[in-house]
Amino acid sequence: MKFVDTHHDQWQRCAGEDGPVSHPAAADHLLLSLEQWHAVRDTWPANLAVGVQLPNDVDVEDLAADLPRLALVALNFPKWVDGRAYTQARLLRVRLRFAGEIRAVGEVLVDMVPLLARTGFDAAQLRPDQSTEIARHQLSFFPRHYQGDVNEPKPAFADNSADKVAA
Amino acid sequence: MYAYTDFDRRFVRARAAQFRDQLERNLAGTLGDDEFRPLRLQNGWYVQRHAPMLRVAVPYGVLSSTQLRQLARIARDYDRGYGHFTTRQNLQYNWIPLPKAADVMDLLADVDMHGIQTSGNCIRNITSDGLAGVAPDELIDPRPYAEVLRQWSTLHPEFAFLPRKFKIAISGAAEDRAAIAWHDIGLQLLRNEAGEIGFKVLVGGGMGRTPIIGQVISEFLPWQQILVYIEAIVRVYNRYGRRDNAYKARIKILVKAEGQAFFDDVNAEFAKILQDDPAGHEHLIPQAELDRVAASFIVPAAVQAVPGVDIFAGVQAGAQGVAYRRWLERNVHGHRLSGYRAVTLSLKHVGIAPGDATEQQMDAAAAIADQFSQGELRVTHDQNLLLPWVRESDLPAVFEAAKANGFATPNIGLLTDMIACPGGDFCALANARSIPVAEDITQRFQDLDELYDIGDIDLHISGCINSCGHHHSGHIGILGVDKDGKEWYQVSLGGSDGSTLSGAAVPGKVIGPSFAADEVGDVIEAIVQTYRSQRNSGERFIDTVKRVGLQPFKDAANAVRSSTAAPAATAVTA
Repeated sequence: MKFVDTHHDQWQRCAGEDGPVSHPAAADHLLLSLEQWHAVRDTWPANLAVGVQLPNDVDVEDLAADLPRLALVALNFPKWVDGRAYTQARLLRVRLRFAGEIRAVGEVLVDMVPLLARTGFDAAQLRPDQSTEIARHQLSFFPRHYQGDVNEPKPAFADNSADKVAA
Repeated sequence: MYAYTDFDRRFVRARAAQFRDQLERNLAGTLGDDEFRPLRLQNGWYVQRHAPMLRVAVPYGVLSSTQLRQLARIARDYDRGYGHFTTRQNLQYNWIPLPKAADVMDLLADVDMHGIQTSGNCIRNITSDGLAGVAPDELIDPRPYAEVLRQWSTLHPEFAFLPRKFKIAISGAAEDRAAIAWHDIGLQLLRNEAGEIGFKVLVGGGMGRTPIIGQVISEFLPWQQILVYIEAIVRVYNRYGRRDNAYKARIKILVKAEGQAFFDDVNAEFAKILQDDPAGHEHLIPQAELDRVAASFIVPAAVQAVPGVDIFAGVQAGAQGVAYRRWLERNVHGHRLSGYRAVTLSLKHVGIAPGDATEQQMDAAAAIADQFSQGELRVTHDQNLLLPWVRESDLPAVFEAAKANGFATPNIGLLTDMIACPGGDFCALANARSIPVAEDITQRFQDLDELYDIGDIDLHISGCINSCGHHHSGHIGILGVDKDGKEWYQVSLGGSDGSTLSGAAVPGKVIGPSFAADEVGDVIEAIVQTYRSQRNSGERFIDTVKRVGLQPFKDAANAVRSSTAAPAATAVTA
């Protein structure tokens, strides 16, 4: 899990004084809104490093055709107890085989990190008051879980069956 | 019962350590109360009226005597000497100080217990039939499936923050003793024509402000696919369930709003998991895993069928004999093994809140279970304890032991065997108290001849619309409501949990404006008297209500109004 340091983040948003720029100029490492991406995707060169941030009510499967051009998908937690982005991440990583960065943004707390790690996120932009040290520590409690996840697709019971076969 | 593996033990220990870390950060001030709240809830810790409440998971109601002794010890050393068994087969403490919370979780982990997902907007502890594995009408033992589901749902990373809580109940018998149609997902085990085992799957049931009965989404799902199918249901719910209004956030609202589109979404998602996801098939349950888990649920080695006897033979006349006969009639149940019975230890009598047990009673129940029931007990949906493995020849001794410890009220299924939530005495959510109402009614129906004459009746009391006391499914339901800071009670009739006796699951109908607290006892008596005067010979309460309708009961209830009697009175219409 990469914890994003906003002061040294290569990804920049395209906002002017009046809010998001509706039609940003082509450049590497811009983190676009979905509207911005839709405005530029037909005109921007295909080899740019592009990031898109999605609201948590977007169906990520609608984005399938765009994924090969995206280096980063940022998923938003408007409140930390709103769990929709976990499903978005899982679908992006598993069903749509998205190999770029999946970043958690919004109200991201240290205690979410174990869930983020297991649903396909590999980066988190913690809320400014959160400690990366405590966040890392949250990954240390469970060596293995019952159900499979994006990192270990097999559930724990697959080990039991394997043991039996081995025995 | 399920035998924990090293993996299971390490897992529960890890959860206790994780919780201790969270608690310590909260006590140190680095984890704010608002942010600690959802974390502690998912470990069973509420903050209630007086102190934190801890809800301990008793998976599908199966409990060992060792575990019950530990629960008694916690009640003794950390609480005020008692606990409360719930309709969802769990145990609640009311007085443990939060700084001690992590120590209690360690003590629970010592006996393979925890509070994981007993609260919060996640998949809750899975409930089942209190007679699972011993019921004579059982088709398929639900416990191994319930355990596989428990493991799968435990700390599922995608489904920890759903729109709202999510409850699953599973039944494997002809009779539904788990009220499955009232759950977010209800599962009925059955065999198809080829003899294969599968589930009838219901979805979208629930109580609360909008009582809805679950609908069948699959008539027969092969058992191997159940985890994948539930994953599909919960994923659709996580994506599309409402989050703008807590009262409209349960899956029942989504199912009702979307109708067939919801079913189509679930079936499409199910197909995608199996067809498109690279490891989608990994959660199909292998026979070897079911066998591994089922091996924990075999008949205990010391239990062997013996010729059955007439348990009523030789029961003496006279007061002693009558008392024993009544206990045999009401608290002793049939068993699938010849020569054995299941016995309910009633937690319903005057002077104690329904479902409460003292630490002495917990220790006593553990000792009775060790001596007479292979060290195993069950927590039932009706908030009693049950001994699943009692030899018929031991029944007289069990009766004496039950009597000596306050467990022998011969009232199972009768009016005083009521379901009630802790209500306003303890619960911060409640609008009104439940326990004084339960106590008042219990005191009014102490005459056993009268109680037996009234017969089978489900009385359910909830202190607020969250419906923990299942008032919607009671033949008589009582719901506490708040108006101008006063306690009022709505009374409903004709509800059903879905059992054969009660008929198809349905919410009861409110019989009129709310009653004042001091009227409720009179109203219940008036309703019961109306039944006794209107019934046909041998007709049960619920059948009389269905036959004659609500009007005679409304009239009788209105006739005993006092403070709400005058037309200008401040009766609440709700």
